Amino acid sequence: MSIRQHISDRVEKDDRPPLFSLSRREFVKAAGYAGAGVVLAPALSAGCQVASHPTADPYELEMAFLALDEARSAGAAYADVRVQRTWSEGISTREQQITGVRYSDSYGIGVRVLVGGSWGFSGTRDLTHDAVARAAREATAIATANNKIAPQTTDLAPVDTYPEGNWVTPHDIDPFDVAVEEKADLLFQANAAALGVNGVRFVSSSINSVKENRLVVTSEGSVIQQGFVRISPGMNITAVSSDRTDFQSRGSVADPAGRGYEYVLGLDFPGHAARWGEEAVMKLSAKSVDPGLWDLVLHPSNLWLTIHENIGHPTELDRALGYEANYAGTSFLAPPSEVLNKFRYGPDFMQVVGNRTECGGCATCGWDDEGVPAFEWAIIKDGVFVNYQTTREQASWISDITGLSRSQGCAYGQSWASIPFQRMPNVSLLPNAKDDLSAEDVIAATDHGILIEGRGSYSIDQQRYNAQFAGQIFWEIRNGKKYQMLRDVAYVTRTPDFWASLAVIGGPQTYYMGATFGDGKGQPGQSNAVSHGCPISLFRNANIINTA
Amino acid sequence: MSDFTFSKREYNKHCLNEARQLASTQLNGMKRAISRTKRHGLSESEATELSERILGLSNADQARIRISSGRRSFARCADNRLTTAGGSMDISVEITSVFGKRTASVTTNLLSDAELTEAVQRSEGLARLAPENPEYLDEPGPQYYDAVDAYYDSTGEMEPDRLAGAMARAIRGAKEAGFVASAYVDVRAGSEALATSNGLFAYHASTGVALTLTVRAQNGSSSGWAGDESRDWNQIETGRIVADAVRKCREWQGKTALKAGLYDVVLEPTAVGMLMSRVMGAFDARSADEGRSYFSDPAGGSRIGEHLFSSSISLSSAPAHPYGERPPFDGSGTPRRPESWIENGVLKNLSYSRFWAQKSGVEPRPSAANLIMRGGNVSLSDMIQSIRYGVLITRFWYIRGLNPRTISYTGLTRDGTFLIENGEISRPVNNFRFNQSLAEVLQNVEMLGQPIQVAAGENSSVGTPVIVPSLKVSSFNLASVSDAI
Repeated sequence: MSIRQHISDRVEKDDRPPLFSLSRREFVKAAGYAGAGVVLAPALSAGCQVASHPTADPYELEMAFLALDEARSAGAAYADVRVQRTWSEGISTREQQITGVRYSDSYGIGVRVLVGGSWGFSGTRDLTHDAVARAAREATAIATANNKIAPQTTDLAPVDTYPEGNWVTPHDIDPFDVAVEEKADLLFQANAAALGVNGVRFVSSSINSVKENRLVVTSEGSVIQQGFVRISPGMNITAVSSDRTDFQSRGSVADPAGRGYEYVLGLDFPGHAARWGEEAVMKLSAKSVDPGLWDLVLHPSNLWLTIHENIGHPTELDRALGYEANYAGTSFLAPPSEVLNKFRYGPDFMQVVGNRTECGGCATCGWDDEGVPAFEWAIIKDGVFVNYQTTREQASWISDITGLSRSQGCAYGQSWASIPFQRMPNVSLLPNAKDDLSAEDVIAATDHGILIEGRGSYSIDQQRYNAQFAGQIFWEIRNGKKYQMLRDVAYVTRTPDFWASLAVIGGPQTYYMGATFGDGKGQPGQSNAVSHGCPISLFRNANIINTA
Repeated sequence: MSDFTFSKREYNKHCLNEARQLASTQLNGMKRAISRTKRHGLSESEATELSERILGLSNADQARIRISSGRRSFARCADNRLTTAGGSMDISVEITSVFGKRTASVTTNLLSDAELTEAVQRSEGLARLAPENPEYLDEPGPQYYDAVDAYYDSTGEMEPDRLAGAMARAIRGAKEAGFVASAYVDVRAGSEALATSNGLFAYHASTGVALTLTVRAQNGSSSGWAGDESRDWNQIETGRIVADAVRKCREWQGKTALKAGLYDVVLEPTAVGMLMSRVMGAFDARSADEGRSYFSDPAGGSRIGEHLFSSSISLSSAPAHPYGERPPFDGSGTPRRPESWIENGVLKNLSYSRFWAQKSGVEPRPSAANLIMRGGNVSLSDMIQSIRYGVLITRFWYIRGLNPRTISYTGLTRDGTFLIENGEISRPVNNFRFNQSLAEVLQNVEMLGQPIQVAAGENSSVGTPVIVPSLKVSSFNLASVSDAI
């Protein structure tokens, strides 16, 4: 079925606006753009309420509608337009000096169109009428040419239209309202505290802040204005042995979040830096690990990245079907008909969700870049794989197996210059629902184990089977208690074996969200910001190697 | 099966002997000076005008302007379908303002007078607030740069339909073999410029193209890869890429089990390029002097002058290398010249930032512009013939650092891994994870092929040019087995 038929069928059934039904005038009328209209944002969990309701800039709207008009008259069957402005600020220090103060501002428009079943995209920084019209025509020309060279069909999953959607990342303090000197002062205090530890020689630290305005307008009638705030504080402390033959570092002390500057204040770097410095020094004289089979207790600050790599990526539908074969790779979770609702990932108590709703998540939003509202769904239910991550285009590829006609809302483009495609939402392992076990309770469940905190070196194969993950801090657990610090530890796993060995998970009190701004995928490569929540967890008989 | 896997026209098309390289280098500045078509990105006069306009707005003690501009276009296919295609145009300006030793940078692509004034004022405001950076050095004045023109009209004039055509050719080749194509072509064309309030102006126009193809069996039981990267579209051999990827996929079908362990290996040039890119990152004087590097001398300072690797190893950089050109200046305006990092196994030089150079009493030396590894004249089939029991590796994936003191990395083999027995390829085998010191690799090199330019970036986008040979290396640590295909 062509997209046009698909949509017109839906329109008949649902009485929703057909393609390109919306002119700017109609939009203004329908949405009461002058200010009266209220469209509620999708529900968020309690305590994570949207604080403000941004309205779209009239000129940006005008340009978005111009692009839609040009695409339509050039022959596009569908188009979405994203006007995006991204501000970022980075402050970095080493010891007691500034190594960089950077601020950037990138603004432009990207037009994506469908002609027949072929996509075309064009982006420009030039927001004049002529340039926007040219970009829309170019995107349509590319799609038209491609549809001639390799005709194909593309079905977009239906979605409600949101003629006045708006959403903003819940936050208390806009990081761009905090002076650079205040941020630098906080970092210098932390650096000084770490340098006060005997043996610490080098310290680097940084605060990176991002703010984005995204206006998405679709030819189906959605007009969605969103504002995003993300922040990433970091610190790396290096101790060098007195004879210069060895050095050890403690990094990964905090994770990025979809929050404001209050998050950084709450982390209290100055109050913790001395302990992190002591850990770096302790690593110099820590015992090098004996390779072999050990139980593993993974702190959430380590486990989140493992979840990202061996649950997040293999459950991306485009990977499973070969769409990323030339770079990120494919997935061991394929073909869909043989694994959906069949493949056992882990024990019965293992519940993994995908969402764009979790408070503080880097991938949290009101709508994705195709106008699909944020919600939460199961990826692994009672230990069994039940859903891939999808976009509107992808939903139909497996709808005969899933029975789902809707998208899971995973379309995202990094900037105005990048074409949206399937990107990971927050993917989180839910904590123990029966017992609110503490970290000590989980550690007590092994006599011969290693506790790993923080992310270290990580590498995983292109189908997400063989992974080798290190960490920052390693503690030998002997008879249910932390015994001594170890070093040079990495765990080597085969994904299905790893999750099958999950034995104990901590309760809600141990739940923590790790995150990255640098989830890379696609050609041209794009970065996605994403969070992963999880409790502290125990895995039996892991294969430990010595990386020295 | 002697000339089995790698046929890049017998390595020769890109292989310029050193004499030819030198001649081309000298000609490079002139040979493409006359371009009849409108180039993407700002011209030298447009960049001059824009940088002077911004410097005219500055009230700082000193200022530095960097401008990058141009077009990026791409096409992709997967599942034997053309999936996405498009392009974007941008002009981005970085303004660094300096008061005393306080500096800050603002980057913007909003270029009206009012917006530029705001950006300049913002950078000045941030610089005033920023604490002093004791390592700041005054902006450089005019410099002498070697002439390097890296803009090839063959690439700059690529139209979207030709990119789609390359994808269609990949799909056709894979379909004819009963396989599935997943390919990407990345094209860039534009310029960068650097100006300072002390009179420096530098300008460099360039193009770049990378075309890569992964061919997989319908049932996912095999995978093959091939790719090219160059400044010049005319150097991209689409037909050869399709044929090589299809052949790899065919020959890797029916992979068999092989245990992890230490093996003699033959690394094809792409695999070598992916490893050597990491070695180049270690050539930094400061981390050596500070005791954080393989190149640190335990007694203090660095190991410059020491014979550290096999005498067959020479690694260098040359901004004017044909098809692998880089700007003849770095981001601070320091001239990039041809550099020798390793010569006949001896560490010759490390890179010095302007600050570290002043502190150390040496000339600043930018980090490697590109990566050129001297080769030998052993053919791939002769390397294979020399091995009693070993592994042939096509390329790697997900390479990550383990220990900077030993330049140790982990990563995985991918898209074609084969057992060599008694001088012949005997069977396709599973992939491996390696855990390996790259310093040891450079000590254990036994044979070298002729160097070629490879597409060594993991995401196959245009990146730092890498020109390397195939290598035979002893005792390579294939540490664990990967089930991935």
